[in-house]
Amino acid sequence: MRADETSLARLMAMAQQGDRQAYATLLHECQRWLRGYFSRRIAPSQLDDLVQETLMALHNKLASWDASRPFLPWLAAIARYRWVDHLRRLYRADECSLDTDVAGHDDEPAIAARITLERLFGILPEPQARAIALVKIEGLSIAEASEATGQSESLVKVNIHRGLKRLAHMIEKA
Amino acid sequence: MMRNSDALIAELVGSLEPVKPLRFAHGLGLALAAAAMSAVLVMSLFGMRPDFQAGQFNPVHLMATGLFLGLGVAASVTVIVMSRPCVGTDHSGWTWAAAMATLLPAAGLIVGLSADSDLLSRQSLYHGATCFVIGSAASSLVLAVLIGWLRHGAPTAPDRAGLLAGIAAGSFGIFAFSLHCPESDIVHIGIWHSAVVLLMAGVGRAIVPPLVRW
Repeated sequence: MRADETSLARLMAMAQQGDRQAYATLLHECQRWLRGYFSRRIAPSQLDDLVQETLMALHNKLASWDASRPFLPWLAAIARYRWVDHLRRLYRADECSLDTDVAGHDDEPAIAARITLERLFGILPEPQARAIALVKIEGLSIAEASEATGQSESLVKVNIHRGLKRLAHMIEKA
Repeated sequence: MMRNSDALIAELVGSLEPVKPLRFAHGLGLALAAAAMSAVLVMSLFGMRPDFQAGQFNPVHLMATGLFLGLGVAASVTVIVMSRPCVGTDHSGWTWAAAMATLLPAAGLIVGLSADSDLLSRQSLYHGATCFVIGSAASSLVLAVLIGWLRHGAPTAPDRAGLLAGIAAGSFGIFAFSLHCPESDIVHIGIWHSAVVLLMAGVGRAIVPPLVRW
């Protein structure tokens, strides 16, 4: 059975006072909640790492929760922050992999970034996702993307603009 | 994978210590105390405006100083709120105070660019630069307090938190120096006093995010 907001808030208040038993229960519940939260947002292979990173962030920032405020929105804000940070690191690793690939190093981060992007694209309408993928990832010109998709050039531009805006909004507000 | 999650949880539980939650009133109290200390320091070093000492008040100066104080409080409140993460919290209240304070540089520029203004006179520039430098210096205590508070908390938008910490610090800094500055001219206040807020906003945006990321 999943703990509700009231139970989690009570456990958190006890944890802030140093109750280790309550804290252990809270962390297990948070772990379960975080798995559900991240499973729709990142590649399965990165799920454990991100959940653990977030649990450590929660531990380090225990004082930033106030008992007069709800618990789950606090946890969700921390989870979202760690998620965005995780995506940022993945994209940076992706950029660096242009050099490391030549040296024959592991290209898992690049693949993981691609999987994450594809998961994000799943949220967009197909014409928007296809326009972004062709122009922003595969590097086609607007004219080439227009020919490949059958969309007019202006529609390709509109779809890229709307799709990127929607992705940014989703990442910020998720 | 880093390690087994159960092992991590056991480790975190083992290292648990009681913590004191960050209280909104405590954070705001610290920011206001720092602002008050800055004002006292400025007045003890440079003295109070002559008309204040005589119990007289210039309406333009009073309104402008009040607007900076209001902006400082609004921006500080937002910084304190931002230090405690919570999905769905609105952080836009300060923009109304900022919009009202923007009237000062707008009015200052309109009047300053009119034909009979001495905007670029030597004396005007000297007074302006004095307010700019000392007002900026008077901002440092509030900025340090807000950075310390943000580091204790968990701001999820460090860039915006930095910008707002700078705006709060600059507003309180120039509020403190306004208690000394004898000028009541809207051109001087609108341009030079507002410039302190702008400068500190830029400073906050540039230096605070790396200090408060977690």
